[in-house]
Amino acid sequence: MPPSIVEVRDVSYTYPNAEEPALRDVNLTVEEGEFILLTGPSGCGKTTLCRCLNGLIPHFYSGELEGEVRVLGLSTREHPPSELARYVGLIFQNPDNQIFSLTVEKEVAFGLENLGVEREEMRRRVEWALEVVGLSHLRHRLTNELSGGEKQRLAIASILAMRPRVIVLDEPTSFLDPKAAERLFEILQHLNREYGLTIILIEHRVDLAVRYVDRVVVMDDGLIIVDAPPREAFTSPKTRAVGVAVPRVLELSERLLRMGIPLKRLPLTPEELLEELQGRLRSDGGRGGGELRVEGAEPIIEVLDVSYVYPNGVKALDGVSLHINRGEFVAIMGENGAGKTTLVKHFIGLLKPTEGRVLVDGVDTSKATVASLARKVGLVFQNPDDQLFAESVEEEIAFALRNFGYSEDVVSKRVEWALHLLDIERYRGQSPFTLSGGERKRVALASVLAWDPEVVVLDEPTIGQDYAQKERLRHFLLQLRSQGKTTIIVTHDVEFVAECQPRIILMAEGRIMADGPARRILSDVEALEKASITPPEIVRILRGLSPYGVPCDILDVEEAAKVIAGRFRR
Amino acid sequence: MSLFEGLRFSGGDTPIHRLDPRAKFLLTASIFTAAVLYFHLLPLLIIFLIQLPIVAAARVWRGWLRTLRGGIYIAVLILVTNLISFYFYKGRVFTPEIVEYSLSMTLRFIVLVASFSIFFLTTSPDRLSLALEKLHVPYEFTFAFITAIRFVPVLAEEAQSIIDAQRARGLELERGGPLRRVRNYIPILLPLIVNSIRRSLELAEAMESRAFGAVRERTNLYELEMGGLDYVVLALSIALTTIAIYMRVFHPQLGAFFPRV
Repeated sequence: MPPSIVEVRDVSYTYPNAEEPALRDVNLTVEEGEFILLTGPSGCGKTTLCRCLNGLIPHFYSGELEGEVRVLGLSTREHPPSELARYVGLIFQNPDNQIFSLTVEKEVAFGLENLGVEREEMRRRVEWALEVVGLSHLRHRLTNELSGGEKQRLAIASILAMRPRVIVLDEPTSFLDPKAAERLFEILQHLNREYGLTIILIEHRVDLAVRYVDRVVVMDDGLIIVDAPPREAFTSPKTRAVGVAVPRVLELSERLLRMGIPLKRLPLTPEELLEELQGRLRSDGGRGGGELRVEGAEPIIEVLDVSYVYPNGVKALDGVSLHINRGEFVAIMGENGAGKTTLVKHFIGLLKPTEGRVLVDGVDTSKATVASLARKVGLVFQNPDDQLFAESVEEEIAFALRNFGYSEDVVSKRVEWALHLLDIERYRGQSPFTLSGGERKRVALASVLAWDPEVVVLDEPTIGQDYAQKERLRHFLLQLRSQGKTTIIVTHDVEFVAECQPRIILMAEGRIMADGPARRILSDVEALEKASITPPEIVRILRGLSPYGVPCDILDVEEAAKVIAGRFRR
Repeated sequence: MSLFEGLRFSGGDTPIHRLDPRAKFLLTASIFTAAVLYFHLLPLLIIFLIQLPIVAAARVWRGWLRTLRGGIYIAVLILVTNLISFYFYKGRVFTPEIVEYSLSMTLRFIVLVASFSIFFLTTSPDRLSLALEKLHVPYEFTFAFITAIRFVPVLAEEAQSIIDAQRARGLELERGGPLRRVRNYIPILLPLIVNSIRRSLELAEAMESRAFGAVRERTNLYELEMGGLDYVVLALSIALTTIAIYMRVFHPQLGAFFPRV
């Protein structure tokens, strides 16, 4: 019998200067042609395991490695990453930090040049790899002109060109919008089916990923706790206990089971559930759903026919008008490049309209300083690393308060308040740089909420966040909302928005495509399509059941289960 | 900054773009040499005019003019410094020679900027690095060079996000006296540095995963071969340098409006 393509035997690993091991006694065998989803909360050791597979551990990272990792029978101790690169390709989260060349085709060739592949063969492989990921038409384009999705596909092509037998992807879709993520997964599936490529995928977007994989490995605290086919893995109590995302469809199906609706097997995708329910529903029954809350009508942000053109001539906003009322909870959605971030930068005057006007609490932003507007509108940027700089968490939070000229007395009080609000009191004296990604994000949030701005704007708050962190964020947003704060999130995370149920403003190509309550917008498939947003899982299912008269403007799992159960022929 | 912006390659496909970087570099070098040899307006003006047809053939007027515009401040600085220093040096008098000499120095600077601009505007860094490899420059150097160019826009974007994020936290860069203003940049520089360190680590991992340094003899997707036009350019460059040296040595006063006595 040939050796398994990947064999991990009793592997434990501790990073240099770390107290706790990052991997404990990990055992994993992967056969050729498998498509594996590796998931688990942040810091559980997923990335460390990836680094073991191509020899980055122990060749690039020192530290203590015990046990044995073999790839196609080759021990990673004896073969350095540059040699293993022929067999295992690693693709990282941030597309920008793995592209070295200025043009697309040269980038794909980079690995082959390093391997000394001769030119004719190189040309062939580059063409093939570009073809597979659908970038052939962009081969002479400059790499920095590509979109995030194109960059990530380029990263895959550059790995594919080296003809590895296994590719390992570490959260490849974190920075991508849903359409681009789906495209990426489809390419992976094609590679797996057509070329028998073995794929190991680390991913938080399980809803999307689950339909492509045939095995799920769940890690927690350096251990592999579940290793099973998707259905078993996601229903295992162990998986539930560590708090990883579970496909929405599965949640819905379990609720249906509890309501006494028999399902032959637990469906994982909307298609499977629809198949189960086909012909088993009556076309009448109760309508679920409650009335929408009516918001107060006092506007705090008014955008009046605003257009914005960047100095390089790109028109990012094109005649945008909208009102946001005091106390409203709003999500601005749209694909990358739709103009969402450009729009919110207008709210604190970081950008001034080329045409039109923006009023914040009645003040024209073109006549006010950023600092004065920032006191009313707190803008929290996507990447906390773009703002953290102080020696301690306390200092970080005090920074803005001092800029605004609060007395030291007030500063220390507000710092206490913010530390408590975000539950980060225990890190107060620590350097922000030593904290984990999720913790840094909370410090960044605290450093803005500290001055208690009337409006809070969060740019892509869910990027790179695991299930538990997202849940925490959702509760926090609801808390802000109940305090009457105007909260605005900029995001393309459909499932997250479906759970928060805010007012949604859909943007595409610098324009507003739709504006209304979440239930209406997220079930308006045509509008979503225009904005390149995929509908939430629940809506997909309900749309499939619309022949039975099931309303499709429901976002909540519980409510959807009730509506379906109400129509079930018993 | 527009001085450097004009130097950035932005694509294009003309016979000038297709020239072998080595031949093109020799042409630039010969213009450079000729410019350095002369102190007089007329020959420098001729050298300047020689470049116009090249710019026209490469269709890079816009980038070229932008570079020249970016160079204006330095040009004015050169002119003024020359005038002032000669004014005092010659005993507080302005002579026609002083004016001509100062203008020549300024024009020389413009000629140099112009010729380098043509080279960089029409040479893709990928092909340039290949030429360097052919000239046996160690690959580590050319790789560092290409990566640096590659990350200029990434860093610029990141710097902008950092500035935005700190301004959103009430940082006012223009506030305070000179010392305070320098300190205002700390919240911008620190994240930029920390991010760069983090990025370099990620880049190193990605390089390993792409078999960087796997074999000693790297291959290259592109090939450089000197074609007919390249040899013509080569011959022209040598001719230009020869003529320039000949004239300078045997007719040193040529082209001077005010021959020195």
